[in-house]
Amino acid sequence: MNLKDIIKPEHCIILTSRTKTEALLELIDLVKSGGEISDIEDLKKEIFFREQLMSTGIGQGIGIPHVRFEGVQHPVILVGISPEGIADYGSMDEKPVNIVFLFIVGKEQHKEYLRLLSLISSRVKDENFRNILIKTEESSEIARLLSDGETR
Amino acid sequence: MSRFITEVMHILNQADLNVILLLGIIVFFGTFGGRLFQVLKIPQVVGYITVGIILGLSGIRFINLSILNALQPFNAFALGLIGFMIGGELEISTLRKFGKQFTYILLMESLGAFFFVSLFISILGYILYGNLPFAVSLGLLMGAIASATAPAATTDVLWENKTKGPLTTTVLGIVAMDDGVALLLFAFASSIASSLLGKTDAGVVLSILRLVYEIGVAVLLGVLIGFILNKIIRNFNDEDKILAFSLGALLLLIGLAQVLEVDMILGAMSMGFYISNYAPKRSEETFNLVGKFTPPIYVLFFVLVGAKLNIANISIIVGILAVVFLFGRLLGKALGATLGASLSKAPLGVRKYLPFCLLSQAGVAIGLSIVAGQTFKGSVGDVIIMVVTTTTFVVQIAGPPFVKYAVTKAGEVGLNITEEDLIKKSKADDIADRSIPHIRETDNITKILNLFSERDNFYYPVVDKDEKLVGIVSIDHLKDTFIASELSDYLLAYDIMEPVICTCTPDTEATEIRNDLKRFDIQSMPMVDKEGRVLGMIENRGLQQLFSRRIAQLQMKAKTLEDS
Repeated sequence: MNLKDIIKPEHCIILTSRTKTEALLELIDLVKSGGEISDIEDLKKEIFFREQLMSTGIGQGIGIPHVRFEGVQHPVILVGISPEGIADYGSMDEKPVNIVFLFIVGKEQHKEYLRLLSLISSRVKDENFRNILIKTEESSEIARLLSDGETR
Repeated sequence: MSRFITEVMHILNQADLNVILLLGIIVFFGTFGGRLFQVLKIPQVVGYITVGIILGLSGIRFINLSILNALQPFNAFALGLIGFMIGGELEISTLRKFGKQFTYILLMESLGAFFFVSLFISILGYILYGNLPFAVSLGLLMGAIASATAPAATTDVLWENKTKGPLTTTVLGIVAMDDGVALLLFAFASSIASSLLGKTDAGVVLSILRLVYEIGVAVLLGVLIGFILNKIIRNFNDEDKILAFSLGALLLLIGLAQVLEVDMILGAMSMGFYISNYAPKRSEETFNLVGKFTPPIYVLFFVLVGAKLNIANISIIVGILAVVFLFGRLLGKALGATLGASLSKAPLGVRKYLPFCLLSQAGVAIGLSIVAGQTFKGSVGDVIIMVVTTTTFVVQIAGPPFVKYAVTKAGEVGLNITEEDLIKKSKADDIADRSIPHIRETDNITKILNLFSERDNFYYPVVDKDEKLVGIVSIDHLKDTFIASELSDYLLAYDIMEPVICTCTPDTEATEIRNDLKRFDIQSMPMVDKEGRVLGMIENRGLQQLFSRRIAQLQMKAKTLEDS
């Protein structure tokens, strides 16, 4: 599995929102209605329900909201960078979240889903890399940085 | 309404022209009666007989004498089937193990009944008729008849209740073999009666020779046809052909036994015995198939037994003799069986409850009474036929409930059960694991891993805060989380659970559950209440284990009964 194939430039943005809810909505807006995800409202509901169960802020400024969604054939990862940080994310370490990876995978894609989560989390383990990501000013850079890291 | 009944009776009276319609009515209503009695907790065979009584000579006479004669061949078929099935249940190892027990009990209970009935009837006969040779002849002949026990009704109760254990084994062995003893005693009684009544007699030696022929040829015939059948079906895998050939061989045997005038039940039994002991594994299927074929034949047989009984023939003297006969027979069988069982150190259940299982009489008793009637024309013969018909009537009705009582008390009911029977009888509540811990949707992987390491289950229900079922965590999905083990604290049951495809309630039949597991290709099914709250969990693999364990337990129980 290649992050290059999954993380698309048009799915990466520099977030303008300062709150968790707004940030997540901003990311979800990147998903085009129709296609594999037919019901965007339902998708939103699912994502916020999961956040309600437990926040996906795993610390070190990273949030990994994720959802298994009916009908999805090809996993989608939406990436949002918030240079200022989202303070109300509810992270484990109570620090603001700067990098959000939003995973949308198929209901049956249990293994792919875990693999992607693992790939991303090991990718951002390096503090220097995280800092480079946060400092990115062009959203088109984000996808390149993430998939470049893979081959490097 | 009355016009309607007349019309119906008119149609029914024409029915004796149509054997198929007759068989249909008999088997249909017979089975219905059996089921009705079963619901009332009375052995089904009593229901069949009762339907027979209602339809027959004592009732509305829909089944009249000519019909009874026309359907006679089916009786032979039924008795042959019964003999065959009993033979199939007797194993050489059982005979070796219980040989001494069988011999003691068989001799004691037969001779006990013979002795007491002979004594009582002789005394009563002398009081009633004032003629000693007449009284003693009557006594001896009826004593010999009293020693017979009918296998049909008794074994039907055993099979209906799926019994297993020493009492079952003993009863099967005894009821199957005491025909031989009864024939022997009858030959003996017959020759003494002949000389007492001044009849020209064939002599004891000839009677014995005749008996040796009847029993010996029957056994030889059974073994021979069993041998041939075994050779033929050895190369068959096709169930239909095995069934057809087996029934064909059995019919051949029954017919030949009738032509050669030898004991048909013994012949069929020898055949069953030979096949089951010569090729135990392979013949199991044969007996299964034939066993599945038997129910309608049995129903027919017992309805006809009931139809044949004619209450109108009972006079006061016959009534008194019948009561004495029954009492003497009961006393003799009970004392003999208990004594024989004690002397041979039979298990406790056999000693205590065997006497209750030896009441039934049918074909052989009536057959012998008819032979007596033909041999001793005049009052002795007539009295015997009427008394034996009357007592047979009573024991046919009273016998089966006593057998049921005995096997229930001896704890042998339901021990001869297959996995299939168990599944049919079970509901979700019997097979679900109610102690299964519920995983909350907010539990993280680390917590779930701990749970899996502490317990043997492979599937756990996931519930929300209201205890309602939302998913299942399986060991497979849990295993996959090792891929992202660094996230174990951040991933929840909610993230890795599988959707629930199918649930059951405590009342769901186990058969249905097994089918659904197969149909949806799933390994587990949660049991929930009406509101969707989790009550327990059923695992496919646990289901198999559970049933094999229960079967093993039942077999252990049957084994412990043997040693008691």
